[in-house]
Amino acid sequence: MATYDLTPRIGPNLDRHLVFPLLEFLQERQLYPDEQILKAKIELLNKTNMVDYAMDIHKSLYHTDDVPQDMVERRVEVVARLKALEDAAAPLVTFLQNPNAVQELRADKQYNLQMLNDRYQIGPDQIEALYQYAKFQFECGNYSGAADYLYQYRALCTNSERSLSALWGKLAAEILMQNWDIALEELNRLKEIIDSKSFSSPLNQVQSRIWLMHWSLFIFFNHDNGRTQIIDLFNQDKYLNAIQTSAPHLLRYLATAFIVNKRRRPQFKEFIKVIQQDQCSYKDPITEFLACVYVNYEFDGAQKKMKECEEVILNDPFLGKRVEEGNFSTVPLKDEFLENARLFIFETYCRIHQRIDMGVLFEKLNLNYEEGERWIVNLIRNSKLDAKIDSKTGTVIMEPNQPNVYEQLIDHTKALQGRTYKLVGQLLEHAQAQPAR
Amino acid sequence: MASKFWTQGGSDTEEEETDIEDEIENGGAGETAAAAAGSRYLQTNASDSDDSDGQKRVVRSAKDKRFEEMASTVDQMKNAMKINDWVSLQESFDKINKQLEKVMRVTESDRVPNLYIKCLVMLEDFLAEALANKEAKKKMSSSNHKALNAMKQKLKKNNKQYEELINKYRENPESEEEKFEDENEDEDEDESGSELEDPSQIAAESSDEDDEGEDMDDDDADGAWEKKLSKKEKLMDREFKKDPSEITWDTVNKKFKEVVAARGRKGTGKFEQVEQLTFLTKVAKTPAQKLEILFSVISAQFDVNPGLSGHMPINVWKKCVQNMLVILDILVQYPNIVVDDRVEPDENETQKGADYDGTIRVWGNLVAFLERIDNEFFKSLQCIDPHTREYVERLRDEPLFLVLAQNVQEYLERIGDLKSAAKVALRRVELVYYKPQEVYDAMRKLAELSEDGETDGDETKVEETRGTSAFVVTPELVSRKPTFPENSRALMDILVTLIYKSGDERTKARAMLCDIYHHALFDEFSIARDLLLMSHLQDNIQHMDVSTQILFNRAMAQVGLCAFRVGLIAEGHGCLSELYSGGRVKELLAQGVSQSRYHEKTPEQERLERRRQMPYHMHINLELLEAVHLICAMLLEVPNMAANSLDAKRNVISKTFRRLLEVSERQPFTGPPDNVRDHVMAATRALCKGDFQKAFDVINSLDVWKLLRNRESVLEMLKAKIKEEALRTYLFTYCSSYDTLGLDQLTKMFDLSDAQIHSIVSKMLVNDELHASWDQPTRCIIFHDVEYSRFQALAFQLTEKLSILAESNERAVEARFGGGGLDLPLRRRDNQEYAPGTAGGGGGRWPDLSYNQGRQGSSGRAAYTGGGRPLALGQASRDRSGQSRGTGGYSGRAGSGMRGSQMDASARMVSLNRGVRG
Repeated sequence: MATYDLTPRIGPNLDRHLVFPLLEFLQERQLYPDEQILKAKIELLNKTNMVDYAMDIHKSLYHTDDVPQDMVERRVEVVARLKALEDAAAPLVTFLQNPNAVQELRADKQYNLQMLNDRYQIGPDQIEALYQYAKFQFECGNYSGAADYLYQYRALCTNSERSLSALWGKLAAEILMQNWDIALEELNRLKEIIDSKSFSSPLNQVQSRIWLMHWSLFIFFNHDNGRTQIIDLFNQDKYLNAIQTSAPHLLRYLATAFIVNKRRRPQFKEFIKVIQQDQCSYKDPITEFLACVYVNYEFDGAQKKMKECEEVILNDPFLGKRVEEGNFSTVPLKDEFLENARLFIFETYCRIHQRIDMGVLFEKLNLNYEEGERWIVNLIRNSKLDAKIDSKTGTVIMEPNQPNVYEQLIDHTKALQGRTYKLVGQLLEHAQAQPAR
Repeated sequence: MASKFWTQGGSDTEEEETDIEDEIENGGAGETAAAAAGSRYLQTNASDSDDSDGQKRVVRSAKDKRFEEMASTVDQMKNAMKINDWVSLQESFDKINKQLEKVMRVTESDRVPNLYIKCLVMLEDFLAEALANKEAKKKMSSSNHKALNAMKQKLKKNNKQYEELINKYRENPESEEEKFEDENEDEDEDESGSELEDPSQIAAESSDEDDEGEDMDDDDADGAWEKKLSKKEKLMDREFKKDPSEITWDTVNKKFKEVVAARGRKGTGKFEQVEQLTFLTKVAKTPAQKLEILFSVISAQFDVNPGLSGHMPINVWKKCVQNMLVILDILVQYPNIVVDDRVEPDENETQKGADYDGTIRVWGNLVAFLERIDNEFFKSLQCIDPHTREYVERLRDEPLFLVLAQNVQEYLERIGDLKSAAKVALRRVELVYYKPQEVYDAMRKLAELSEDGETDGDETKVEETRGTSAFVVTPELVSRKPTFPENSRALMDILVTLIYKSGDERTKARAMLCDIYHHALFDEFSIARDLLLMSHLQDNIQHMDVSTQILFNRAMAQVGLCAFRVGLIAEGHGCLSELYSGGRVKELLAQGVSQSRYHEKTPEQERLERRRQMPYHMHINLELLEAVHLICAMLLEVPNMAANSLDAKRNVISKTFRRLLEVSERQPFTGPPDNVRDHVMAATRALCKGDFQKAFDVINSLDVWKLLRNRESVLEMLKAKIKEEALRTYLFTYCSSYDTLGLDQLTKMFDLSDAQIHSIVSKMLVNDELHASWDQPTRCIIFHDVEYSRFQALAFQLTEKLSILAESNERAVEARFGGGGLDLPLRRRDNQEYAPGTAGGGGGRWPDLSYNQGRQGSSGRAAYTGGGRPLALGQASRDRSGQSRGTGGYSGRAGSGMRGSQMDASARMVSLNRGVRG
């Protein structure tokens, strides 16, 4: 089932540290041999400062207590560097830890800088040191510390480039600490900057957008309101373009969000076109499902895809998030997805049928008869479906909804009247205005 | 060949040299005695072993005679001067000039005998004297006076040639000779051993056997036409060959200047000039000089071309290519030589020898030459009848050019001139882009084969000729064999990436079009489409030059064919329909001149058009193109007509197709199909009745399908499409006759699977094309009775017209009052589609190569160079360059807003076939 695993495509667009949750998930799902994943983790850790963690993994991977020499050396180096950076940033850190002193800061950046310089002898060098220190903390896996420092750094920083990367750092830290609300705020802030900033080349801007979208996956599939927001973000023209050109695999998440979200129907049709167009560049069961239902009207195919979708969702780090409820662990998104997908099929199916055999229908919907009947009755009761069940023959009969010819005629002409009145009004207004002049 | 022999030969020439000096002495020019002595001294130093040769005597006697003649003429002149007889003086002067020629030929020296110079000086002085003496002038007889004036003119002209020598002689009549020798000596010593040998080699050969020398000339020339070497030519050859050690940079330079100055003058044979210059390259003293002369050779070779419409003779072309390769050899061997056409280099820049450290600038423009060579190649293919063997032979020269282009490009890349390299790359792209893989493979094999076969023979020959003649030996450093990647796509990728990175706008646009064409050729429709849309070429193509527009048309045609092959009928039709809308497809693709009934073309326009023609091997098969276009139109139009049978005029997808159909329907009899058009019309008639089998059979019998590579699968696809459209047509046409229609029956009728029919019908139902619904338990389509009564239909038409009326009222008001405050409903804009004439579908998008094209094209170009509308290509190219080609695929393709543009552009593409379904 590793065919639909997107980790290799998503990974390059994430921060090193953000890949860990993905690997953890993969390890849990056992899509790949454990060894491979552990090796990947070590590889990943090589460039970070989380040497202790790397050592642990190394031990468990090779079942030894020996640690390669270079790791030990690296550890010493890291500690030394940490020390040095800590010293460099110390004045500012102590200042920031003093609540009384912090209160003296005002909204005015210039003033703050002046004040720090005059009264605490904290100049640009120390501020820069704070940034380095925060980055180092982040590299070491101390995300909360990094987040705090970066927040404060941003308050003092005057360099916009630096400020931007600090913001990225903050976002990563918040994601890793799973503070979804704060992360969402940071995300929006970052998005504004990306959209408004003038990049040296459009390519960079697109790249930033791609990164942003990848990072946002963590937030959107964990935040309560995320599924609406993911559509709002991804479906913007600029972002959709970026997806289509550089990261078509993100279509999976957008498609899923569209399926589970009932409130964004107007954009849905447009999105179907995108799916149709990009079928050559990317497809997986979820997009294929949509293509089956809305492009080719192949309901048998759709049903097959639905089953595959289930697998895909379970194996996707973002979609297959588990929720522990007592002894059960469920994947809420999966259930929601299936429910909605079923509804999609049924809806389309009903549109083109007059009479449907319930047995066949339920088979298409992956439901058993009892369940299915209840489901349909519910639909009819909620007046979502204009139909009747014929129990004797075991069929659902749709009510024909042919619009009356005369109603249509009236509809066509109704608007005309209003328009003409408006026109006349305008004419008169103009005629009156002229003599007055 | 033993070098000993050569050295012998060398000394032999030295000997002769002394002889000449002797001759001069004997000839009565007493003053030069000292000089001659000096020179002899030096010479004996240089040649330690004096050999006596039987031949020598003969030569001497011949020379003696000549010199004696000359001396006597000088005496005559002296006498004439004494009696102030200008008439006889003039005669003698002509005579001495003729004699001079003879003397020069005999001595085979480029240096003018001192005697002659002396005579000139004397004459000049006398003339000045005579002119100054006005009284004497008055006394002269009229004939004498005339002769004086004529003499004045002649002498002035004549003396210009020898100005330097005369001046030298005037300055220092005694030591002039000596200095000359010194110079020679120095230079000889500078030359490396091998270089010393070569000149002596020539000398020996030519002095030993004159006949052989002549043969060798012919060898060098290696062309039929060169056999007719002019006398002058041979003279010059010998001039240089006899005295190799005496040839200096100066002499070569002087001769070179002289030859170049004669360029374009009346009476200067073009071939002769090429020959002269070619010879000069062999005696050039420094690499830079050789380079400079080579550039002139190539220019002269270009001059050989008889006219604008004709092409360069093929053998000249080949030699031109060889010369270019030699230039590259030199440039590679001496990296300090810089070729530049912007700065005017020093007069003596080329004097700097091979061991000179700094950069040497030589005037020249490799890219311009290369482009010219390519143009000539193109022109020759245009002119040669494509059905002859000659054409094929000519095509085989293509690898030759490709190797040159490859080398030039490599060189330019190495020196960092990426912009020029991009231009060269474009030339290569333009030779490759239209080749399907099979043709490409064939070319590759040919290149390998011919090179393997020829290299042995060729190389030895080349070595021989060059080895025996050239002062500056240039080893073949650049490869003479093109290297092609396995896959033409790979080659294209390398080249276009370079161009996108560093080409200018036009180069990039053309490369992009070639790229699109190539992708389309390889059935990569989506990539070709993306490139086309992302580059915004459609918007800007009108502002480009004609040949780029033609390229665009070709690319569009190919994309259309590609869309058809992969089964995208609507897209294919969208690409091709505009090409066929004007009925000038030949003209648009530059594949022949189309005659128009209504517009007479001026000869000028016709000539222009002819010059734009594509060579035959690059043609897109017009029959195939027409078949594809008409079949696409048929597949779209037939169901469409069936759906709108009441209101046939409203939704016209293909006007061309409708017109053809009308014509064929008007015929009293329909004979068996003859051409492509008839076939498609016959198929259409069958399809209208829903008879897919017959329709397919008729189409299948077209013989253009053999041109397709994947013929089977295309026909398979076509059959499926015909079935589908037949089903749709059938349903549209007969839906009113049925109440229910069983799925099984349809399956039987149209030979389609349940699922396919279900899918097709469902699609129609969802799109509201068919008022019906499925009855699932009985597997039937139940048709709803929504057929409007006539009254109702009329009522609908009325409402529609009313809304149009209201709209036009609104528009009128808007126009009157400037639209202020009129917030009309938005949908009004959409409704404008009702307006007739939109069916033409943006006819302006196809670049219009209409008859006023000359003007249009040029103005377009002006706008282009004036930086009119910036080509959005920059963007697309940027992201193309950002592409990680190594990883394959277009993973890295990106660019801001570009996808957006693609979206709306694709919407435009779609709009070409709007109203296809409902």
